[in-house]
Amino acid sequence: MNLLNPLTAPLALIIFGAGAVAGALGVALGLGGGIFLVPFLTLVLGFPLKSAAAISLATVIATSSAVTAQRAGNQLINLRVGMVLEAATTVGSLLGGITAQLVAESVLRRLFGVVAIAVAAVVLGRVNKRNVILDPMVDPGRLGGRFYDEESHGIVSYRVKRLPLALFASFIAGNVSSLLGIGGGIIKVPVLNAWCGMPLRAAAATSALMIGVTATGGAIIYYGRGDLQPLLAAPAVLGVQVGSWAGARLAYGASVKWLKVLMAAILVIVAVLMFLRSNP
Amino acid sequence: MNRDRSGMQRLETTIGEVLRFGTITSSTMFAIGLVMTVVGYQPAAAQLLLATGLVILLATPPARVVVSVIEYVREQDWTFVLLTGIVLLALAGSVVAAYF
Repeated sequence: MNLLNPLTAPLALIIFGAGAVAGALGVALGLGGGIFLVPFLTLVLGFPLKSAAAISLATVIATSSAVTAQRAGNQLINLRVGMVLEAATTVGSLLGGITAQLVAESVLRRLFGVVAIAVAAVVLGRVNKRNVILDPMVDPGRLGGRFYDEESHGIVSYRVKRLPLALFASFIAGNVSSLLGIGGGIIKVPVLNAWCGMPLRAAAATSALMIGVTATGGAIIYYGRGDLQPLLAAPAVLGVQVGSWAGARLAYGASVKWLKVLMAAILVIVAVLMFLRSNP
Repeated sequence: MNRDRSGMQRLETTIGEVLRFGTITSSTMFAIGLVMTVVGYQPAAAQLLLATGLVILLATPPARVVVSVIEYVREQDWTFVLLTGIVLLALAGSVVAAYF
């Protein structure tokens, strides 16, 4: 795997730029940037999917750490739920990371195609969706939480329901994260919100906490196997950091409806290309 | 319950500090290492910076889990000691899968 070196200034800039765009889109859409970064690196720059996934996992770790550091202390992150579900995501990411070493590039590409379609469906499904409405007086219990909601200007309390389902979704998310280089929030957040009773913002903040340690489980394996090169990870990580920072400032309050539809369309194209180019 | 809440607050604050330190350190090393690489100044030192930055990036989430284990042991919350222990074991499993 020598195609990647030496790093030229233009290549570093391209990776940085791709990371920035992916990071900004990720923030605007409430997804991670990986679902856009991985196909760019594979389909446009021609990196093997394993390299692309490894680079993307490094950006996921950086985003998770940065976002969580910023949010720590505001009660939005449910540490307990996070720690419970992490036990499932990290085991999943260990298995996914081992599997990624065993299966062929073509299989990974097809799997990415399937997940891209699923993500597109979730993004479209959310276009007009509102938050789950909650009873503010509920006793949060041992796993639930309570936080001040800026949108409704009130205290929001919630209980966590269907924990086994959340554990299962987290385990699957961990597998997919390692195999494809995405954070896996796209699987967990809808499940936690729609079926387990967590408000969307709490689910997203808790997922953002979890994806760092989940991505680390996969990234360590890629790193040890030589698929994660510091020279390529560095511009991607910096790009995503800059992009998420900018995205958070640009997207607030703006209508992202058209953006969601556009991105869903792009994901469908990504899926088609992944299938078409999965035969060597 | 009250003691429990304050413990959780303290843990969240510590976690925030660990993550902030890891992010800032690794990103700074990446930025300096990249600029040095691109302009061709001290390539060996640049590579070392980039490699160290990556290792710090990868070590940050596990460090956060270690901090959590310590806090839960202090609170004698054995359920969460077990859960965070599973996370650490799985991460150790990744290290084994990476090198053996």
